[in-house]
Amino acid sequence: MGGTSSSEIIVQSTAAEYAPLILLLPMLAFPVILFLGKVFNGNPFWKNNLKEGGLIALTVMGASLILALAVARDFIGGFSSMEELSEWVWFTSATWESTTMMTKEISFGFGVHIDHITVMLLFIAAFLCFLINTFAIGYMNTDPINDNRNHRFYAEFVLFCSGMLGMVLADSFLWLFIFWELMGLCSYLLIGFYYERPSAAYAAKKAFLTTRVGDVFLMVGLAMLWGMFGSLDYDVIFNALEDENFMAGISSSTLQWTLGLMFIGAVGKSAQFPLHVWLPDAMEGPTPVSALIHAATMVNAGLYLVARMFPFFGAEALHGDLVDLAFIIAAIGGITAVMAAAIAFVQNDLKKVLAYSTMSQLAYIFTGLGCALWLANSLDWHHDSKAHGIVIVAFGAALFHLFNHAMAKGMLFMASGAVIHEVHHAHHHLHHHDDHQHESKHPKELVMLNDYLEQTGQTVYEFFKSIDLDGSGEIDMYEFQTALKNAEIADLPPWETEPLLAAIDLDGNEKINVPELEITLGNLKMDDHDHHEEEFDAQSMENMGGLASKMPITATAMLVGSLSIMGFPLIGGFWSKEGIIANAWRVALEDPRFFFPAACVLLGAGMTGFYMSRMWLKTFAGSPKTEVAAHVAPTNTWIKTPLFLLTFVSLAGIIFAGMGFTHWAPDEGYAPFFDGKKGLMEGILYEMEHAFANHDSFFFILSYVALILGAIIGPGLALSLYGGSLDEGEQAKPWFGPILALNAAIKGRYHWDNSALAQSSLATALSNRLYFDHYYDMAMLKIVAAFSFKAAEADSGVIDGAIKSIERGSQNLSTRVRALTTGSARDYILMAAVGTLALFGLIWGVA
Amino acid sequence: MIDPAWVSGLSALLFVIGLAGAFTRKNAIIVLMCIELMLNAANMQFAAAAVHHGDSTGWVYTLFAIAIAASEVAIGLAIFLAMYGQHESITLDDVNVLKN
Repeated sequence: MGGTSSSEIIVQSTAAEYAPLILLLPMLAFPVILFLGKVFNGNPFWKNNLKEGGLIALTVMGASLILALAVARDFIGGFSSMEELSEWVWFTSATWESTTMMTKEISFGFGVHIDHITVMLLFIAAFLCFLINTFAIGYMNTDPINDNRNHRFYAEFVLFCSGMLGMVLADSFLWLFIFWELMGLCSYLLIGFYYERPSAAYAAKKAFLTTRVGDVFLMVGLAMLWGMFGSLDYDVIFNALEDENFMAGISSSTLQWTLGLMFIGAVGKSAQFPLHVWLPDAMEGPTPVSALIHAATMVNAGLYLVARMFPFFGAEALHGDLVDLAFIIAAIGGITAVMAAAIAFVQNDLKKVLAYSTMSQLAYIFTGLGCALWLANSLDWHHDSKAHGIVIVAFGAALFHLFNHAMAKGMLFMASGAVIHEVHHAHHHLHHHDDHQHESKHPKELVMLNDYLEQTGQTVYEFFKSIDLDGSGEIDMYEFQTALKNAEIADLPPWETEPLLAAIDLDGNEKINVPELEITLGNLKMDDHDHHEEEFDAQSMENMGGLASKMPITATAMLVGSLSIMGFPLIGGFWSKEGIIANAWRVALEDPRFFFPAACVLLGAGMTGFYMSRMWLKTFAGSPKTEVAAHVAPTNTWIKTPLFLLTFVSLAGIIFAGMGFTHWAPDEGYAPFFDGKKGLMEGILYEMEHAFANHDSFFFILSYVALILGAIIGPGLALSLYGGSLDEGEQAKPWFGPILALNAAIKGRYHWDNSALAQSSLATALSNRLYFDHYYDMAMLKIVAAFSFKAAEADSGVIDGAIKSIERGSQNLSTRVRALTTGSARDYILMAAVGTLALFGLIWGVA
Repeated sequence: MIDPAWVSGLSALLFVIGLAGAFTRKNAIIVLMCIELMLNAANMQFAAAAVHHGDSTGWVYTLFAIAIAASEVAIGLAIFLAMYGQHESITLDDVNVLKN
């Protein structure tokens, strides 16, 4: 693949021969863990020594990581593109023109395709899966709620990893799609791990169905691609793209539609506008799942697909034909970057902030890819070496941001998990005598309903009459929901109304009648109301604060991760983010449409600085906001280890940049470090010069504007609003000192009142996620539900009606026929005689 | 010698009498007798036809029909006996289990 013909060499590499094992090992571990977990459930050796399968999973993921590193080493050692031919033929499809002549035979086999993009994604996936597995052992196995069911978690975990690893290794779009769907399934299973919680079950369904919307488009796109190229193998398609005779028969506008449909699949998987609604809800899964799915692997699948499209945009035969799609990709990224960052401003749930941050950063990568694809499609990069460099750096910046974001976000999720875990434990420790029975027995909505009735002076019967909309004498869930809303008690979604209804519904017919309501409210009045303590939310940042001194490693990891995401100079994300912004503006200067995404990513840089700083300050700085936060203890080793490692990976951003990661592109040997043209120090100096002392005055100013927005203005605003110095006597690590001191100084001097802003309609809209879920639900209700009702009517009326009328008719007929059989022998004789006579008459008449 | 046409007419008369009896009578034995009457009417018709055509086949048929009628009576009476055991009656109106 790629621009030049020299990259077509197929190289035999020992590591590449073992590459299928990278995905097969975890896939085989899936049934093993599941089976052993069922057999040895509760066995002390299984539980304590094998961590309910966690160690088996860790071993397998470790083996995958070693193999992946070996592949990467061989690859960086000089091979530009490795392709293993299909070893295993899955099935063969043949096209027959007549009964004797076969015109085409196509076999579908699985092979391994390794190029720059594969190696990058393979390393990210294998490395993070291994670390998150380590983290999961510390997180899942110490939580009593998971008792004796962690084998299910680890089994699904390894299957998920095998899906991601298989997707990046696959050598055709078909296998990409198969593993893509495998990940979809596993994300459903893992998000719904706590399936007994209705919200988790709902989130799992939502994630599955929302990504499915995109997948349908992807499938149509792949079918169209098949129609055009007659194959889905990368090899066949990418070679065909170089073939001018073949390309003369391809309609570029149809191809643009095809790629556009495939892009919609990527939008769904990577949670971009307008299919982004599933990602925040997916935080219902356990934190390791959030780290795995929503930072390290699954959301990167969409980006990988778009990156895989590069040869289409880079093909000479399609020069300038696909710029509209490149713009759409960049624009979707721009919209999502700003929208998600804005929503992250008002989130109080630690994991939700990270979820929106993920959406926003993925949007950056989409913008970066869109710009790189635009450049590849409109510059003459096959012949002009300057243009060649521009395209490769643009593409590399996007991929490098993918790397940096995955590392930083994996770390952030794990650190947030550590915080939540420890806050939860501290709460458990302080309130272990709490009686939760009373809370679950009387939901607060019911108490409010009781108060409402007392205030308005209605009797239960009057109230019941007023809410029984259809006059059936019983209240169903929708009537109840409406009633709660009209009484201004709560506007609940169906899955939260259901348990409430069940609390009143004594006979279990899912409807409420007057006696049931009277009995329940009567019980409520009898019990004293002393147990109205608010449910403690271990994920809410409102319950944290001042944790920097209590969880030093976690706080450091979180700080480094946040700085990387913000694009703080010299740390990981800085290099790639500057690259994406610079490339967006480079394209904007050529194509005015791109001013929109370019402005979005520049604005987003400042917004990122604000919300990431806000998150860190609210969690770790200032004094503890609750008693619980004051009693948090450091976390265990399993959790600390991956945090420790990833901190260094993120801090080492400058080394990766020096190694030429920004030149990571679908072209062999361009990266200065890999071909030995430049040393590491030279590479670092080169990158530094480009970032801080660009010769082009426009980019010089741009890089400083982005820097000031992301690293000074955004965090500065957060510093003036949130956090503060730690409590007296709390000792934090020395590297937090300057930040906390700066925080205290800025907050003391420039603190401004933002309560007016926080009350504004914009803030309300943001905390309601800009009403996207609301409108999607409405649209579903109005269109899909209405259509379903009509379809149900048609079914019972027309189809059932036809069958029922046939049945009724034959029954009537048989009743009449039966009446002939009187049971009297004489009548039968009469009939026989008359019949015989008639027969004779007939014969006589004919004769 | 009597013209075979007269014999044929008598047989037709006998057959109609038998048929009317079989339709109208309630007693099973009388119905059986009526059926015998019809059979004999048929025998007579055979005999008349044999004389008319000068062919002895008709006589042979008559012999067969008499033998069949004898066995039929035996079976019929056995059925009536069984019927009486079940219903305490041989009135045909009482036997209508096949109704509807």
